[in-house]
Amino acid sequence: MTADDARRLLRTMWRIRHFEERVGRLKRTDEVFGLIHLSVGQEGVAAATCLQLRDDDAVYSGHRAHGHALAKGALLPRVMAELMGRETGVCRGMGGSMHLVDVEHGFLGATGVVGGNIPMALGSALAARRLGGDTVAVVFFGDGAVQAGHFNETVNLAALWGLPLIMVCENNGFAEFTPRSAHTVVERVSDVVSPYGIVRETVDGNDVLAVWERFGAFLARARAGEGPFLLECLTVRLRGHYEGDPAAYREAIADEEWQKMDPILRLQRHALAQGWVDEDEPAAIEAEAAEEVEAAVAFGRESAFPPPELVAELVYAGSDA
Amino acid sequence: MTPSPLDNDRLVWMYTQMVRIREFEERVKRTFEEHPGVIRGHTHLADGVEASIVGSVANMQPGDYVLTTYRCHGYPIALGTDTKAIMAEIYGRATGICKGLGGSMHLCDPSRGFLGTSGIVGQGIPHATGAAYAAQIRGEGQVVLCFFGDGASKQGAFHESLNIAALWKLPIVYVMENNGYNVETQTHQEDANAAAGEDLSVKAKAYSMPGVTIDGGDPVAVYETVGAAMERARRGEGPTLIESKVYRLSAHGNLIAPPGVPLHYPEHEAIAVFGDREQYEAALKGDPVPQFRGRLVNDGVMTNEQAEEILKAARDEMQEAVTFGVESPFPENDEALAYVYA
Amino acid sequence: MSHELPYIAAIDEAIRLEMERDETVIYFGQNMATTENAPFRQQFGNDRVRVTPISETAEIGMAVGAALAGYRPVVELYMAEFMLVAMDQVVNEGPRFRAMSGGQVKVPLVLKAGWGFTAGWAGQHTGTLTNMFMGIPGLKVVSPSTAADAKGLMASAIRDDNPVVYFHNYLLTLDHGEVPDGEYLVPLGVADVRREGSDVTIVANAHMLNQSLKAAETLAGEGIQAEVIDPRTYAPLDVDTILESVGKTGRLVLVDSAPRHSAASNVIAGEVVERGFDLLKAPIVQVTALDATVPYSEPLEAYVIPDADRVAAAVRGVLGTAPVGA
Ligand SMILES: Cc1ncc(C[n+]2csc(CCOP(=O)(O)OP(=O)(O)O)c2C)c(N)n1
Ligand SMILES: Cc1ncc(C[n+]2csc(CCOP(=O)(O)OP(=O)(O)O)c2C)c(N)n1
Ligand SMILES: [Mg+2]
Ligand SMILES: [Mg+2]
Repeated sequence: MTADDARRLLRTMWRIRHFEERVGRLKRTDEVFGLIHLSVGQEGVAAATCLQLRDDDAVYSGHRAHGHALAKGALLPRVMAELMGRETGVCRGMGGSMHLVDVEHGFLGATGVVGGNIPMALGSALAARRLGGDTVAVVFFGDGAVQAGHFNETVNLAALWGLPLIMVCENNGFAEFTPRSAHTVVERVSDVVSPYGIVRETVDGNDVLAVWERFGAFLARARAGEGPFLLECLTVRLRGHYEGDPAAYREAIADEEWQKMDPILRLQRHALAQGWVDEDEPAAIEAEAAEEVEAAVAFGRESAFPPPELVAELVYAGSDA
Repeated sequence: MTPSPLDNDRLVWMYTQMVRIREFEERVKRTFEEHPGVIRGHTHLADGVEASIVGSVANMQPGDYVLTTYRCHGYPIALGTDTKAIMAEIYGRATGICKGLGGSMHLCDPSRGFLGTSGIVGQGIPHATGAAYAAQIRGEGQVVLCFFGDGASKQGAFHESLNIAALWKLPIVYVMENNGYNVETQTHQEDANAAAGEDLSVKAKAYSMPGVTIDGGDPVAVYETVGAAMERARRGEGPTLIESKVYRLSAHGNLIAPPGVPLHYPEHEAIAVFGDREQYEAALKGDPVPQFRGRLVNDGVMTNEQAEEILKAARDEMQEAVTFGVESPFPENDEALAYVYA
Repeated sequence: MSHELPYIAAIDEAIRLEMERDETVIYFGQNMATTENAPFRQQFGNDRVRVTPISETAEIGMAVGAALAGYRPVVELYMAEFMLVAMDQVVNEGPRFRAMSGGQVKVPLVLKAGWGFTAGWAGQHTGTLTNMFMGIPGLKVVSPSTAADAKGLMASAIRDDNPVVYFHNYLLTLDHGEVPDGEYLVPLGVADVRREGSDVTIVANAHMLNQSLKAAETLAGEGIQAEVIDPRTYAPLDVDTILESVGKTGRLVLVDSAPRHSAASNVIAGEVVERGFDLLKAPIVQVTALDATVPYSEPLEAYVIPDADRVAAAVRGVLGTAPVGA
């Protein structure tokens, strides 16, 4: 990791953090609609993986997708506008929080059905292999998706065909309000794929350096034609499962404990110690991110809602035939 | 703890069941020639798999459950269901075990713990898991035997079910009959473990569940392994995955064709698709039924005369089943609507 | 110029021609291409033609992903029922992506699904599932009744930019028909008037269409001229052609092999009543299967599924030449 990488990572994580927290506030006044899942606490994984990818690499995510979309390059104001249901949103207000898609930046899609994205990513990996270049497919999912049948169907096929698929599991220990221990006896997600000879690793997902390094190594191998890979990132979702979840099913993390774990603060401390950034640089990065998010809210508010005609227009794609 | 040792009577009983299943399947196959048009749709035979079936269900105690796939004739035969009622079912008659409504793929005999089958690959696995959940909360020490094929282990339902069974320590034994084929796809063409030269029982690792691979052609080995797993389940220690390596001696199923085209059993896929006569002939040489007969005679458990009597009795029984089936009436029309709702 | 082909071969011909025409068409599924000799694999290679495990969710999900990534997958499912284990991908992923992405992506794929094998396949392999899929916005549903349509609709389905469920009726598998040579497209969303008549309109598809045409012959002998329409595509549904016909005949008999309350005929009846109530001289009659799981036994199977006699009886009923009844 270079100083420049660290700066980009910090910038990306702060942008996600402020975006998420701002969305949380907007949710209280219903300026964003529907069910909202925030990734506060998990920014390190999104940033340390997506920043190493290119626009032609396909990324898939699930219901907790804002961070992945932003890190993959989706324009922040357009993601905000999407959540606010505006026509200027990445999906013209048709998708919302759980269904972000930004083709231009290779964010092929998020799906609200747990694990539904995993076989789709397999399809992109198959396409990548057929196209013959060095592009890869990356799919993000939670620990809860691993118990779904399609996960196993995908793992078998990816292994059988040796596809350039990198599965990134953000294991935050909970699926909705249920701890992992009530879902499975297999503590580590990486153990679930152990029968399939998949190259796999479990890392501290709040350790941005570790995720960066492990993911980078997998990515290099995937670009060279190897695969599949599974990277399990142990992480913490700081807020409730959805905005409005009182999270009574678990103990909140004490603030000072979180200060130690927070992926952003950890990287900041490291960057300062390495002399990669000046003393006041992190604060400046953060302030800039906060401003950007405020501007995005203003952009969203100024944007129009999509016209009703759009609904019918989008039912079928026109034929290229 | 191991299952109770097999005395001579029990060994002969096992052999008898194997022969009965073989003879039954032979008669199903022959029905296509002897009584064209009597069997419709799709049948799947268990010839070659008898040792695995009999060795497994020999461990069942009253109250235990079994759920299987569409390849389901063998289990109820070993459990004691009247072969006349099974044949009549396959012929679509009112006297069939399911009154002619189910057919070959959907046999069911709850009175013997056989809760049914699914014709959809893999979907019987969650059913069996649910029966094990019921058994667990009922708390009477029942155990479930769940049979499925190697192909079914690529179905999401397999993964979901085994995870839950391991988590809840359900009293169930998963017996994967690995016959090396999903229709005409060889296991290594579709399974990452098989492609890597591994046993399919390694899949159990994903669920922190014990997994064992056994020779499904040896009924005693099957009996002991499945029995030990059932005992373990009965003690509340949870599920086991057993890969029972078998070879089906017939093609996957009879010809698939629209009405009007005569149905029959084609050649085994090893030959018909892969031109691999050697593979098939090696399997024939290892045919578990004559193998077990030789072993019992050799060990002095059974005489050749006894074996011939068993065979003759089975042949007579199956002839009766065929005659009974052919002569039985079809169900009345109102039967079609009689079971829509309970 | 045309040539004669069985229905099933006409489908293969369309897939082959489309694969020759367009490199991005890929074809995969279970138990196909297990050896080098399999025709599609021989011609197009193991990369574009692949055998998959029995993992319908992964197969169809993968088709969605490959479609998003620029390919046109055709998934061989053999039996329509096998889609049911993958309902999320068929219903809630594939057809949703275009709309939810605000039109950024398209998901061109074909799910090739045989249906209606009422030939002793019992309860789980004989369904008529049209209705289950025709109401999913973004998902197209076609169901050819002739060899020519089998070819033309498959070619159009592959070229269409949307997910298409391509139902092929198992009972028609070996029915021969004239098939146009070379490129042949039947547009999606256009019904076909298979027989002209002035007294009553019958709408039916596939095996039920053949039964209806047979009934129409019988009725002609009684002086009743039935117009017989094959919708061919269920989504989007060509209601106009049906309404036009009802405008002429004033009477409508809908034939469907699905159980009464899950038949596509329910939807057609609703549209016609709403848009063409004034055209009707008699109540619409639906000739459907009984609300029962299809029994295995041959006489019971026949009892549950409609046939030409029942269609003819229904027509006589709406014309008042006999009591109404399905
Ligand atoms: C198939 C399906 N079942 C249930 C849900 C409801 N649901 C939404 S998120 C979620 C939890 C997922 O947990 P995990 O995969 O660990 O992701 P996390 O929320 O922890 O990021 C559930 C059960 C769903 N969306 N889809
Ligand atoms: C979900 C589903 N997909 C496909 C099929 C078609 N099919 C019927 S049997 C079979 C092969 C299953 O192979 P395996 O599980 O190994 O069992 P075997 O028949 O070898 O005993 C297939 C693919 C089906 N019935 N259900
Ligand atoms: Mg989680
Ligand atoms: Mg098999």
